Amino acid sequence: MRQEHAEQLAASIVDFCRFLRTHGLPAGMRQTMTALEAAKTIDVQNRHLFASTLQTTLCSTMEEWEQFPPLFQTFWAESQPRPRSASGEYKGPARGESPEQKEGASLFLDGPGNQTGSAQGNTKAVYGASAQERLKKVDFSHLPCEDLALLEEISLRLLRRMSQRLSRRLTISHRTTRIDLRRSIRRNLTRGGEPFVLAYKGKKPRKNKLVILLDISGSMNFYSLFLVRFAYALQARFQRVHTFLFSTHVVEVSDLLRTRYLPEALRKLSQRAAGWSGGTRIGESLRQFNQAYGRKLLSRDTIFIILSDGWDTGEPELLAAQLRKTNARVQKVLWLNPLLGLKGYEPLTRGMAAALPYVDVFAPAHNLESLLALERHL
Amino acid sequence: MMSPVKPEDDAVRDPDALMRNFERLGYIADRSLATSIFLITKLRKPLLIEGHAGLGKTEVAKVLASMLGTELIRLQCYEGLDTSSSVYEWNYQKQLLAIKIQEGVAQTVEEKERYIFSREFLLERPLLKSILAQEASPVLLIDEIDRADEAFEAFLLELLSDFQISIPEMGTIQARHIPYVILTSNRTRELSDALKRRCLYHWIDYPTFEKEMRIVRTRLPDIEEELSKQSVRFVQAVRKLDLEKPPGVAETLDCVQAVALLGKHRLSADVIEETMGCLAKSMEDGARVRAAGIDQLLSQATG
Repeated sequence: MRQEHAEQLAASIVDFCRFLRTHGLPAGMRQTMTALEAAKTIDVQNRHLFASTLQTTLCSTMEEWEQFPPLFQTFWAESQPRPRSASGEYKGPARGESPEQKEGASLFLDGPGNQTGSAQGNTKAVYGASAQERLKKVDFSHLPCEDLALLEEISLRLLRRMSQRLSRRLTISHRTTRIDLRRSIRRNLTRGGEPFVLAYKGKKPRKNKLVILLDISGSMNFYSLFLVRFAYALQARFQRVHTFLFSTHVVEVSDLLRTRYLPEALRKLSQRAAGWSGGTRIGESLRQFNQAYGRKLLSRDTIFIILSDGWDTGEPELLAAQLRKTNARVQKVLWLNPLLGLKGYEPLTRGMAAALPYVDVFAPAHNLESLLALERHL
Repeated sequence: MMSPVKPEDDAVRDPDALMRNFERLGYIADRSLATSIFLITKLRKPLLIEGHAGLGKTEVAKVLASMLGTELIRLQCYEGLDTSSSVYEWNYQKQLLAIKIQEGVAQTVEEKERYIFSREFLLERPLLKSILAQEASPVLLIDEIDRADEAFEAFLLELLSDFQISIPEMGTIQARHIPYVILTSNRTRELSDALKRRCLYHWIDYPTFEKEMRIVRTRLPDIEEELSKQSVRFVQAVRKLDLEKPPGVAETLDCVQAVALLGKHRLSADVIEETMGCLAKSMEDGARVRAAGIDQLLSQATG
């Protein structure tokens, strides 16, 4: 009889764990085992005690801790029959399928060339060393069509050189001359312990993780093309780069950029961002990011880069709150704003003003030169 | 075992007994916390306690150790914590001297080496110390684990599952008594899932009015009832403001004590202004409390 009881209880607990899983709690194998074990050590007739026991064994964050009591009540309610089938009510994040706008789709293929027909007369293409200097300073949005290919080529080369320089600098500057006594003694034992050869130790070069959020909304059209190259080039230096695109949603594209052949990647990139509406909801995107990837990707050694002009149609409070959350987890938040290159621009848009307190480096990103100048922040 | 009655068995017979024992030692634990602590002693799994600052997370370990009559070993985590300051380190100065002294002695290099790397030259840091405990299981407190870096967390994971430490020069040391492990975190960063899954979990929230009163009464028995009541109500009102660092129970105790030390018997706007530093721990927070209106908060507390 007792044996039967225990088995029944165990089955119910396993059932309960399944129930928790359908409500978004992890309640994995290991935790279930712990719960079963814990239930054996207490008086399960004591409802309060039983609840606390399951709570402490099956939860592992504050959020889960707070979700738990009502779930416990629902499942173990005495009057109600136990929910047998774990019906998954979980709805995935609704994908906004607003077909009316297709701005995102053509974004990376067409690039700025499409929109800048009017600027054509301003600058004439001159090739050679001076062209490189000139193009470095040209605002991406004022770029004449025929210069596009050239600038792309230059940018890729320069950015790549920058990222190589970054990787060299780190190994050299970290060479220190602290004597590693442990190794020194070990090495010199054969010489009777006379410290002939000293062993040194230095800090391991710290490899930062890079998380990039790239705004591809309508207002950023001119710049996105180059900024995505920037993200691509940085991969050579940072082994851990995670790139995301956002406008009203956020989507990861790191896997696409991890390729040797960029044009192909850009084509796929456009496909992935297809069908997005052109508005910008930075706060909402950041919230989605924090929820889905924050825990996994953000840590003390992370540099978090947002490439956006700060035109936000959402609530500035949401943006501020989410950015603060992000900022607390990472080493540094960089906000690169192409508009900062404009004369007389002040970050007065509501979104930008709300975000600024939580941004460590606020820098322009309107031309190649400004992107190259970011070297010292990375 | 020398003593006929093992004191720990009695103290942790069930969660209620444990709760009473904690109260006897001056710690007010609710039943849910008592259950979590009870399960550490039964399942021998580490307990991760999270919660805001100043709610007595660290205290749990101290009280548990004194209740069980065992040693408390504490490891304070910080960014850049490494094995040489958390696990063990060789005493290099002593080793160098020993090498000098050994110079004339007719011993083989192997013998000398074995001597140099013996226990005598080992500096035990908290984690190794907890493994080496001879008499009984110690309580190992790993404080503010969220401050250590991920590499250390991974190391800890290994230690917490096997309770053994390997030292290349000496071999592997297995724990004779598995320590009771308590980890605390202020949630400045998310811990790895692997670590969390291995631990029991408890979230300490701000106490209810009744519980906080009991804590004040237990910790500061000489304070007038009316003053503590007012102070607790006031602090609870301040907690509802959107402060950067909301005051914890530790702050309540500080505040009550400060007011009493000033020779005051009741709260007033002046007294609060004078003791603001006990509650608001930054200039901005102080300003926020003032902006909310001390008088208004006070009328909630005394009314």
